[in-house]
Amino acid sequence: MTRHHPESMSLMEYSAGNLSEPHALCIRLHLNECSLCRSRADTLDSLGAVMMEQQPKVSVSESMFDRILAKIDSSPTPQPAAKPAPRISILQKLLGEDINNLPWKRQLGDVSVLDITEKFPGQNEQVVLQKLVSGGKAPAHTHRGTETTIVLQGAFADQNGVFNQWDFVVLTDQDEHKPVAVGCEDCITLSVLSAPVKLTGTFTRMLNPFIR
Amino acid sequence: MSTLDQKPTRGEGRKDPWSQLLVKVGKSQDRQAYHSLFEHFAPQLKYYAMANGMASHAEELVQEVFVSIWRRACLYDWQKAAASTWIFTIARNQRIDMLRKMRRTSAEMQVETEDLWQIPGEDDNEPVTSLHRLMSERRVRESLKHLPEEQITVIAKVYMEQKSHQMVADELNIPLGTVKSRVRLALNKLKVILQDQKA
Repeated sequence: MTRHHPESMSLMEYSAGNLSEPHALCIRLHLNECSLCRSRADTLDSLGAVMMEQQPKVSVSESMFDRILAKIDSSPTPQPAAKPAPRISILQKLLGEDINNLPWKRQLGDVSVLDITEKFPGQNEQVVLQKLVSGGKAPAHTHRGTETTIVLQGAFADQNGVFNQWDFVVLTDQDEHKPVAVGCEDCITLSVLSAPVKLTGTFTRMLNPFIR
Repeated sequence: MSTLDQKPTRGEGRKDPWSQLLVKVGKSQDRQAYHSLFEHFAPQLKYYAMANGMASHAEELVQEVFVSIWRRACLYDWQKAAASTWIFTIARNQRIDMLRKMRRTSAEMQVETEDLWQIPGEDDNEPVTSLHRLMSERRVRESLKHLPEEQITVIAKVYMEQKSHQMVADELNIPLGTVKSRVRLALNKLKVILQDQKA
């Protein structure tokens, strides 16, 4: 059971369909595992429906319904019992690999990263997977913009608490943290960065881990 | 302007008329039911497309949404979402999908729109939480009746015009903090906000 959930504002932006693909991915991965937030999202989807209903209406062209019928008649009628084929996990689809077998790039000490920004062409944000080996520490850092993170495996702890699998955390330039991987698995996170991370230690700043 | 008053409202644990019609389309490809849904929802959907800047593709969006409704109606489960909610999510996804396809080739799209944005009740293995979901739609309607207009205006811009909070603030010429607090008050009323969260 996850303990750290997306903020309502973000869920509303998700429900309205206004989030970028990487941000939507973070929310969706959380929703898949969190029934509490699924019911929040359901409420927000209903809010969208009621909003749409309360707006003005615009009449459609008269021939449209016939065009739609022509279109549905040109392809087979759906089977009433049809169910969608079981889906492989989104991450698997996106990465084509188990997250533990990815071509991780070792950065500083306990930290490895993999930049997957190119999987989301046409977006402005940087998207990175980060791995902290079990028991490992990441250097203290702040964030120049906003970093949205979801824990995909294992857990990490910082001064704000313990973040377990599927927990959701948003850090801004006000937050400095020094995460430590807890538990016996490597901690793997997916982060969407609206601006690159800024290190706070002078030594580590030169080494530039996390910074692209 | 609003059809809320003449609209059927959802009874306790019972299908509203639109959901009944949608079930008929799914079970028996009932074209009369399908046409009634079209008459009711198509003008809403066209406004939705126009409000968020897709004026030149508005009819295309309506048409694609209705083809999709026909094809997916067999998957619709009234216990998991009211018809209006289900149709809203299909329209939202169709809009996102059309915008994605305009921006790039399909070969570049490794993740489909529906991997990211789900249609309620599909691909959903959890035990039926229908009562909760039905309550949720009823509660939204009920709560909205009591929300001040200024809160509804802000939320409508987010849902209908795809505006960020900052854009809404600029347009209404009010501080960002005011926009956020209006949204927060509304979401609090809808019980979307968790107790230990800011918003």
